[in-house]
Amino acid sequence: MDTISLNNALPNVFLQRTDIKSEIWRQQVSFEKGKTYLIEAQSGTGKSSLCSFIIGYRHDFDGCILFDGKDSRKLKAADWTGLRQKHISMLFQELRLFPELTAIENVEIKNSLAAHKTRKEIELWFEALGIADKIEAPVRLMSFGQQQRVAMIRALVQPFDFLLADEPISHLDDENSKAMADIMVAEAQKQEAGIIITSIGKHMALPYDKTYSL
Amino acid sequence: MNLVWKLLRRHISLPQLAGFFFANLLGMLIVLLSLQFYRDVKPVFSEEDGFIRPDFLILSKRISALGTIGLGSVSTFSEKEMNELASQPFAKRVGAFTASQYKVSCSMGIDGVAQLGTEMFFESVPDAFVDADLQKWHFDEGDEVVPIILPRTYLAIYNFGFAQSQNLPKISESVAGLVEMVISMRGNGRNEFIKGKVIGFSTRLNTILAPESFIRWSNERYAPDADAEPSRIILEVGNPADDAIVNYINAKGYEMEDDKLDAGRMTFFLRLVSGIVMTVGLLISLLSFYILMLSIYLLVEKNSDKMRTLLLIGYSPARVALPYQMLTVGINLLVFMLAVVALLCLRTQYMQMLANVFPKMQGGSILPAILLGLSLLIVVSIANCIVVRRRINGIWNNKR
Repeated sequence: MDTISLNNALPNVFLQRTDIKSEIWRQQVSFEKGKTYLIEAQSGTGKSSLCSFIIGYRHDFDGCILFDGKDSRKLKAADWTGLRQKHISMLFQELRLFPELTAIENVEIKNSLAAHKTRKEIELWFEALGIADKIEAPVRLMSFGQQQRVAMIRALVQPFDFLLADEPISHLDDENSKAMADIMVAEAQKQEAGIIITSIGKHMALPYDKTYSL
Repeated sequence: MNLVWKLLRRHISLPQLAGFFFANLLGMLIVLLSLQFYRDVKPVFSEEDGFIRPDFLILSKRISALGTIGLGSVSTFSEKEMNELASQPFAKRVGAFTASQYKVSCSMGIDGVAQLGTEMFFESVPDAFVDADLQKWHFDEGDEVVPIILPRTYLAIYNFGFAQSQNLPKISESVAGLVEMVISMRGNGRNEFIKGKVIGFSTRLNTILAPESFIRWSNERYAPDADAEPSRIILEVGNPADDAIVNYINAKGYEMEDDKLDAGRMTFFLRLVSGIVMTVGLLISLLSFYILMLSIYLLVEKNSDKMRTLLLIGYSPARVALPYQMLTVGINLLVFMLAVVALLCLRTQYMQMLANVFPKMQGGSILPAILLGLSLLIVVSIANCIVVRRRINGIWNNKR
């Protein structure tokens, strides 16, 4: 998949509002594979809604979202499954880890879908992010910042054309967010994928191709 | 798969599953047992007569004193009467008894020693009414031997009356085929002999029965001019316990040949009772299915967040549904196997009890019960899988 386009899209909850000033909503926006985007947002401007619309979790919006020109509303369950397995990987703001599994199990449950990465590669990421000692720890016993890193690794163990990261470093210090940015960019470059990052304040220091204000 | 199972097995309620398990086991066992019992016991009622099935009735007209001296009403059935009978809703098929119209005498013996000679007669009914092996029950012109079915009372008369007093060997049913019958047929200026072979004894028929083709051939050969209306007819009915049959027969002044309807009635009631018991079993199975569905609904509800996340990270609805589907199918399979084992144990028990009362009882095949259980297993499993899948689809569509 090469482009994700928003064509006059707007969350249904904003339909009554007339004062929308956004570089995304009600605009023609195209995200291209291989490029890096930052979407800066204030609270309540629909940042998480945008991510939900793209990943197909919610459909309560006006206008269109197009994948390579194909209307997302016309996708069937099997299409969405394929999209989530091979084309769009998402790092959720609320992480969506499984608290009853260990850190490595949370990663393996996704990696087992396509066996995209070896155990060795995954362990190297754990080391790079400074949580190698937590690899067998139940994820519910880890801090939110540590969980954020596990969730990032989980987002990377699949083939993707776009990586969608919803506030990836909200709970990380500069050193760890740098480490996270490094492995994220390295993996995206390896897969020639695009990166879309949202942020409501602190954001990763990356060479963004374009920054949008939501 | 292991990780998904580790996730989704949380909140599985063992008491609920056990409730389903035992209810389903009980339901299936009752269904299988009622079928098996029916099949095992049914031969006891129908075994008395292998040749004429219990839903065949034999009708004749009352013979009055006036009729004996030729003044009463006709004692034979006209074609009109037969057609009327055939058109009754309870009647499936009607056939006439055809009697031999020439003189017949017969001598019987064993090992070439003639022991009993008598004047006699033959009758036939359409072959479709005789439940005998067609290989044996068969006569072609030119055959040297004609198969015969005798009333069982004849055997008793011979064994306990004649043989006893004459110091002759008794004949059991199994060696009846060894009895040599030489039959002499006279009429139309001919006097010819043919051998007879007893292929069995009947309790229902008070006549000496020969194949239809033999009677037709011999009547043409020895009494070509005679053409008699039948004095008895045989009638196949759907349900021998139907009141309409008795009412019709009484209204017409016909007589039913002895009260052997009982066996048919017993079979009918056996079928009825088995049917009721089986329905109860099915109902229990249905309720157990309901328990399982409630349990699955609760389970999916409690694990819905995890399932939603699995779907969002790229698991297909089919793969998320699989663990619960395998769980239910596994339970169903276990229930089926245990039900069959329990059935076999119970069957051994009741067959021993019944064997004391009916020593000759053989019992029916267990295959139909197993096939029924398998069909039940498949139907319930498919229904379970569909319901689980629909719940997962509900989560996919963000429906609560």
